[in-house]
Amino acid sequence: MSTLVMMDSRHGVRARLAALNWWLVVILTLIAAIGVATLYSVAEGAWDPWARQHALRYLFALALLIGIGLTPLRFWLSMAYPAYFGVLVLLVLVPFIGEVNMGARRWIDLGGFQLQPSEYMKVALVMALARYYHGLEFKKVSNPIYLFMPLMMIGAPVGLVFMQPDLGTALLIGAIGLAVIMLAGLSWRMTTLGAILAVIGVIGAIRFDLLKAYQINRITAFLDPESDPLGSGYHLAQSKIAIGSGGVSGKGFMGGTQSQLEFLPEMQTDFIFTIFGEEFGLVGALGLLVLYLALFIMATNIAMKAKSHFGRLMSMGIGLNLILYVLVNIGMVMGLAPVVGVPLPLVSHGGNVMIAIMAGFGLVMSTWVCRNQDTLRTSTSYYGSIN
Amino acid sequence: MRVEPFDTQRHMIFSRRATLFTGGAVLLFAGLGGRLYQLQVRDYQQYRGLADDNRFNQRVIVPMRGEIYDRFGVPLATNRQNFRVLLIPEEAGSIADALEHLGDIITISDAQKQKALREARRGRAFTPIEVASNLTWDEFTKVNFELPNFPGLRSEAGNTRNYPWQDATAFVVGYVGAPSENDLQQEEDEATRLLYRQPGFRLGRAGIERHHDEVLRGQAGSLTVQVNAHGRVIEEYPNDGDRPVQGQPLGLTIDSELQIEAKRVLAEPFIEPAEGEKPEPVSASAVVMEIETGDILVMASVPAFDPNEFNVGVSAARWRELNNSPLNPLLNKTLNGVYPPGSTFKLITALAAQEAGFKPNYRVNCSGKIWFGNRFFECWKPGGHGTMDMRDSIKHSCDTYYWNLAQQLDIDLIADVSRRLGLGQTYDLGLGTQQQGIVPSREWKQRYFRSTPEQQTWFPGDTLSAAIGQGYVASTPLQLAVMTARIASGREIVPRIVRVNGTGVIPPAPRSSLAVNDDHMQIIREGMDAVVNQWGTASRSRLEKPEWRMAGKTGTSQVVTLQRDPVTGKRIRNEDLPREMRDHALFVSYAPYDNPRYACAVVVEHGMGGSSTAGPKARDIMNAVMAKDPALRRAYDPSRDKPVKLSDISRSAGQSVSGGMP
Repeated sequence: MSTLVMMDSRHGVRARLAALNWWLVVILTLIAAIGVATLYSVAEGAWDPWARQHALRYLFALALLIGIGLTPLRFWLSMAYPAYFGVLVLLVLVPFIGEVNMGARRWIDLGGFQLQPSEYMKVALVMALARYYHGLEFKKVSNPIYLFMPLMMIGAPVGLVFMQPDLGTALLIGAIGLAVIMLAGLSWRMTTLGAILAVIGVIGAIRFDLLKAYQINRITAFLDPESDPLGSGYHLAQSKIAIGSGGVSGKGFMGGTQSQLEFLPEMQTDFIFTIFGEEFGLVGALGLLVLYLALFIMATNIAMKAKSHFGRLMSMGIGLNLILYVLVNIGMVMGLAPVVGVPLPLVSHGGNVMIAIMAGFGLVMSTWVCRNQDTLRTSTSYYGSIN
Repeated sequence: MRVEPFDTQRHMIFSRRATLFTGGAVLLFAGLGGRLYQLQVRDYQQYRGLADDNRFNQRVIVPMRGEIYDRFGVPLATNRQNFRVLLIPEEAGSIADALEHLGDIITISDAQKQKALREARRGRAFTPIEVASNLTWDEFTKVNFELPNFPGLRSEAGNTRNYPWQDATAFVVGYVGAPSENDLQQEEDEATRLLYRQPGFRLGRAGIERHHDEVLRGQAGSLTVQVNAHGRVIEEYPNDGDRPVQGQPLGLTIDSELQIEAKRVLAEPFIEPAEGEKPEPVSASAVVMEIETGDILVMASVPAFDPNEFNVGVSAARWRELNNSPLNPLLNKTLNGVYPPGSTFKLITALAAQEAGFKPNYRVNCSGKIWFGNRFFECWKPGGHGTMDMRDSIKHSCDTYYWNLAQQLDIDLIADVSRRLGLGQTYDLGLGTQQQGIVPSREWKQRYFRSTPEQQTWFPGDTLSAAIGQGYVASTPLQLAVMTARIASGREIVPRIVRVNGTGVIPPAPRSSLAVNDDHMQIIREGMDAVVNQWGTASRSRLEKPEWRMAGKTGTSQVVTLQRDPVTGKRIRNEDLPREMRDHALFVSYAPYDNPRYACAVVVEHGMGGSSTAGPKARDIMNAVMAKDPALRRAYDPSRDKPVKLSDISRSAGQSVSGGMP
């Protein structure tokens, strides 16, 4: 038994709960509450089928967050690789035991709960990369040899998710992984080189038809949505109409005509921001953006304050993950980003994203609680070996 | 607490990069905020408008056409409910699939499918196409039950035109049809074009429907409908200021009952069919006018078509059949059939002779033929009529008498009398096209042969032909009826067919006296009386009751010159000639003789003899007219009477109504 853990237990449960960052909980809850209200409106003023479930899931996920937050960061450091490999195995299994839905095989049916490993992979990848760089000497970070492992760690899930096929999630996973490598201190020279290689790769992918027709359609539709209002750009045009017609103050709760009259598809998931924007207007939409930004800045703040490199990279990675979700989703419904099927975290209806995000913020919480621990090891021998 | 040196450096780099990322994120969020501002503040009006467009569709409501009634308020053209299925190509995706689905529920013919596909190809994706119409209630409910599963299909309970008397009133009422591409192009008003595109909209195509289309059409209304993304109507809001206005009703002078009877009489075969053969169909027409007012009571032409077929859209094959028939079922022969008036024209020649100074007791001896020019002119009666005066010449229709007169008469005088009696002109009935006929004169012949001057000279022989209504003379049954009405009344009777319009009953215009001496006219009348009632040429055509006493004149006009057997040199009997070479049979009449109320003209194409064919038909029609005596009955006045309900007629007069339907 470590002395640190014993020290914690002497403080008692109340002190441990008090050590949690409750502001984080407040903001998360506010965002989730917006989700519940919007889902209630989407169902034309009914708790079912989405709002009630969303609220219950949030409560469950909040408990999970607090549990994770109360667990020492040291434990999560040790769990980083196992978690990564566990999720990776699930991703590998998806093509064999997964459920086909809307032309893609993304889910594993766990007796009523549709597990979507790709969502958890985002968190697991951040953990694993943070763990990797936590133990890596700084001068080796930009060394191509030591870059091989993290690129493999990113490439494996990106490839698997891309094959499902889920281009949006694959890109997000890749972006998050690369962001963590950047945060770890990859030299600008290597970054530039990597960017050039990436551009060549994308061109190659298009040239050799690795992208499906609908994926290309979605991307081109984003560039000129009005060109084809009933095709792939239809959703986008309708979504812009919904948001735009909301105006400054919105049409009022439950007053959204576009969404209520079914002009928009998938309102409970990817396009939920449109009904929120329509009903609550500029004021509401900016409010939600501020909440997300606050959440991100709190994660950044926690990362800055953390003395352990693992905690830093992980918190920042989780924060960036959230912000990428938000940017892509809201950018997408407003016609600034391609329609790639990314939900709005904590607002969209969907258990996997909710749990993944809350689990991620559980890790951020744990980092906050353990922000003053640097090596996360009781023994000094570990550092001796890498110094 | 130890601070690891290697950690200092990577912490520093991390802080810098984290700050960079945070800054980037904040910038991107500012971008999102800017975009929100663009959409929700700057372009708010535009999107608000688009949102309302999404929610609200303006739909044109096709107005109900005004109804058309007969002289006693019996409907001739009404509106009935029409259950139909529309297809909106834009929403349907594959039209062929949609039709296939619909075909599983109700039966659609291949022709209908082809038509829908053709219309869809014309590329107006937003305009609904009618794919099935006139569904039964059962079919309609079935379709309504299944329809939500098929995007792009919509059911509708609209109105369509109904012509209860079918072919009996086809030429009077006319018919309606969907506007053609050509109509659309010619229409300049955008709102009217939109109305034209509505699937239920019909344009008057012939007859009263066409000529009074703008009155009957009414005014289109509009409807705001709230729809969802699938085009399903959530709610309808009628636009109060823009309700559809039904077209104005029209009341005609026609008596539908007599019209149906006339049609029946005309269509009766006049040649006994050979054993086991079908009787030869008849091509004939009749006009009955009320003399006092000029009201046309009967305007019948057989064979006819069923205007209901045209409303639905007649097939190309059926159209060809109607168009190519030698009996001309598409032609209103009362207005457009032009026939030599034959012996009925002798009435005019006799009048002209009196004006030229011939007395009614002017006598001519008929020996059966006269020599004139370089040939014999043969009277219709081979042995000749003997000596006869003017009345007798009418009674026996002696040709020789009129040839004798013709040699002493000027053609221009005959032409002048003809025109005064109403030949050679059209009348403003507001009903389809009308032939003018020909009243030959010297001037006419010059105009007619203006390209061949050597033929322009008027020859005395021409006058001989004209005097007995042959040669160049040509007239329509309507003109013959007008002529008879003018002879009977001595006044300038003008026919009319519209009695009631939106403003109410139109009073008949008073008619001035004809510029013809009534004493002269009286001789003609007496001659006509003798034709029927004193063992003249139409003694078989006396009416049932003595007090009805009809006066008339037969006419048999040659289609080709007299045919002789090449071997024997004898005249070939009409019956032995092919149909198209047989003579036309005509009969003009009025009744009652002492107080004329009705004038009638009957023409039976290739009917062979006025007295044998046309006379009996006129008799049957006039019997019905006199039995009903519509001139003495109170006619329909919309300010006072309610129109007759069709359901009431079929109950009380079921027999006669069904008799009028094929």
